[in-house]
Amino acid sequence: MKMNRASREEPPSRIPPWAAGICSLVVPGLGQALARSVWRGVLVLVSAAAILGMLIWRVDILGHLQTTAAAKLAKAFDLQPGFTSILIVSVLLIWIWNAWDARLQAKNGRGGFVMFALILFAFFALGWQISEISPSKLVTDFPQAMKPLGQVVWPWKAAVVREPILSVAGASIIVPTAANGGPPPDPVVAGKPHLASVPRTGELSLLDENNMAVPGTTLHLTASGFRAGIPVEMWWVDPLGNNFQLRKSGSYLTVMPDEKGAFTVDIVMPYSLGPSAKGKEDPHRVEARQTIGLAPMKASEPLLLVIQRMVETIFMGMMATLFGIILSIPVSFLAARNIMSGSPILVAIYYFTRTVLNVIRAIEPLIWALIAVVWVGLGPFAGIVALTVHSVAALGKLYSEAIEGIDPGPIEAIQATGATRLQTIMYAVVPQMVSPFVSFSIYRWDVNVRMSTVIGLVGGGGVGFILVQYIRLLDYRAAGIAVWFIAITVAILDYVSAEIRARFV
Amino acid sequence: MLEVRHLTKIYDDGTVALSDVSFTVRPGEFLVIIGLSGSGKSTLLRCINRLHDPTDGAIVWDGVEVTAAQGEDLRRVRRQIGMVFQQFNLVKRSSVLTNVLTGRLGYVNPAASLIHMFPAADRDLAWKALDRVGLRDQAHKQARELSGGQQQRVGIARALMQQPRMILADEPVASLDPVLAHSILGYLEQLNREDHITVLCSLHYLDLVQKYATQVIGLRAGRLVWQGTGEDVRRMTDSEFKDVYGEDAVRTSAGLTGEEEKP
Repeated sequence: MKMNRASREEPPSRIPPWAAGICSLVVPGLGQALARSVWRGVLVLVSAAAILGMLIWRVDILGHLQTTAAAKLAKAFDLQPGFTSILIVSVLLIWIWNAWDARLQAKNGRGGFVMFALILFAFFALGWQISEISPSKLVTDFPQAMKPLGQVVWPWKAAVVREPILSVAGASIIVPTAANGGPPPDPVVAGKPHLASVPRTGELSLLDENNMAVPGTTLHLTASGFRAGIPVEMWWVDPLGNNFQLRKSGSYLTVMPDEKGAFTVDIVMPYSLGPSAKGKEDPHRVEARQTIGLAPMKASEPLLLVIQRMVETIFMGMMATLFGIILSIPVSFLAARNIMSGSPILVAIYYFTRTVLNVIRAIEPLIWALIAVVWVGLGPFAGIVALTVHSVAALGKLYSEAIEGIDPGPIEAIQATGATRLQTIMYAVVPQMVSPFVSFSIYRWDVNVRMSTVIGLVGGGGVGFILVQYIRLLDYRAAGIAVWFIAITVAILDYVSAEIRARFV
Repeated sequence: MLEVRHLTKIYDDGTVALSDVSFTVRPGEFLVIIGLSGSGKSTLLRCINRLHDPTDGAIVWDGVEVTAAQGEDLRRVRRQIGMVFQQFNLVKRSSVLTNVLTGRLGYVNPAASLIHMFPAADRDLAWKALDRVGLRDQAHKQARELSGGQQQRVGIARALMQQPRMILADEPVASLDPVLAHSILGYLEQLNREDHITVLCSLHYLDLVQKYATQVIGLRAGRLVWQGTGEDVRRMTDSEFKDVYGEDAVRTSAGLTGEEEKP
């Protein structure tokens, strides 16, 4: 660039201005290059080629069903008229301006930056389309997002549950039809609901070989002892314990008991859910369930699970930090220039350690977690492995820089008292290291807990692991609880770590 | 008796810091080394307690060849030589008391000292040293909380803990203002007169040199170019002055002793 700047004044163009213009019209940048602005020419050529190439690529994608170039272009115009026309105009403008620019370059070596402004504009237009930016979505899709976002922002409805208190009575039904007429009915107990069925044995509904529905036996149910005025739901329990609510002509069957709490209803035995043992009598059960109240509030399953996983997360961060500190202390000495100077072997070890640390640090903990999951399987241990690896590299660098930054004066002074090497380290090096050591370690603990909240997203355990599951199940309230706990924990940690560090430094 | 014979120091990068320097210091002298920055004053002092290894020549102190000492012998030599630094070189995050106690590291059991165990006698000695420099009530502060003058007094107390027979002071007052300079040099003079500790001190200001030195040597570009007593500095001719400080030096206040007595 310096050469270019210097030569701009001195040697005149190789070719006259009009020729430079024509050259650039044929090949963008050629005129500039011939006018001794070689770098400018190369830049123009590379940019123009890149823009044109990407324009063709995008048009090809938009018109991928079309076969000819013209048809593709027409399709692109049809689908995205703004983008296509802006870019085509830009390319034309760049082409023309580039010729004008070449002429100016050849004439007096000046061209201004309009050329580059045009090129930048074209790149940003491409970027807009390639990265599918659409601000209108922010507005049009907002109403749809309101509900899940609202649930995430205020998820506490899902934090507690009140389970219904049920009043239940049932009758056992034997399938298939039994000769003895089925089991005896449950005894009637005063004050308890009771359900009696006639008959107490029968056949389930089924489809015959022509896929025609064959209705099962109709059961005549007589109930008593329920509360008046509260609807009763009818349920079927199969021998495996599966519960399902009975339907009548498509909708759930509910019955309203009379003022004495009694009712009668006829139901058709439902379709079988599972294969029944051939030639064996299966005990099914029909139940009448009435919700007569709500149990006291208690913590919901997502809340308890999130709390458990949050604790797991904090400990993951702690363990990873501990292992990271232990491993990074020896490493940091190998990566400190003032310790590792003296012999070429030491310097080689220094450069090797530095390089390895830089490479490890350049790879995100999430990537390390993916590797660790392959190695040790899903769960918190994978997260700990990933965070430990990254911590060793990060802390190794921080510690080694702290070692490099220590004041050599006290070392000299302690040596001068006749102290041994070990005494010198203990009294001159260690006191200088304590404060940065504590500060960096706590900072790293903070970072590790924060990282372990997201490392679960790739299977590394912790709260992220259930967060991603709740999101996939579209359970936004439960996800919201996890998000809240992450936010609270991180905020507290941030504050605590800053406080501790402020006290030590 | 300290004898420096044909001392030469060439650093690894080829810098000649000292070349063929010879002089003798009798016990109880207050020797001041004068010279420009980079003339080799610090290197000379550091060669005497072997913080730097001389390239050539010999240093003999009371019959012991310091330049040949290794390991345990070297540490035994070092512990008898206190050192005071321009930047004080205290361990800033350790307490004043700990800093003073480190002066005893050459004497105590190395293993016990690693867990900060010092004999009671040494602790008494530390308190006495602190009393002597007037810092008893600052003993539990961190060294960095002290002012520059106080820090240098801690430095002197640390040197005192070694019960030294010689003190090397590398520009001990260059970071301090003139009043404090007199205070610090006053302490060194007191140790020199009362405890008969030999003092080797490098200084910049000629008025200080005249006031405290009993013997003076001048270094220029690593060579010994001038030798005399404190009184001789007053009578230094302009050409001798330029020998030490270079042709461009301008002599202004030399010969004046208008500073305050030490407080």
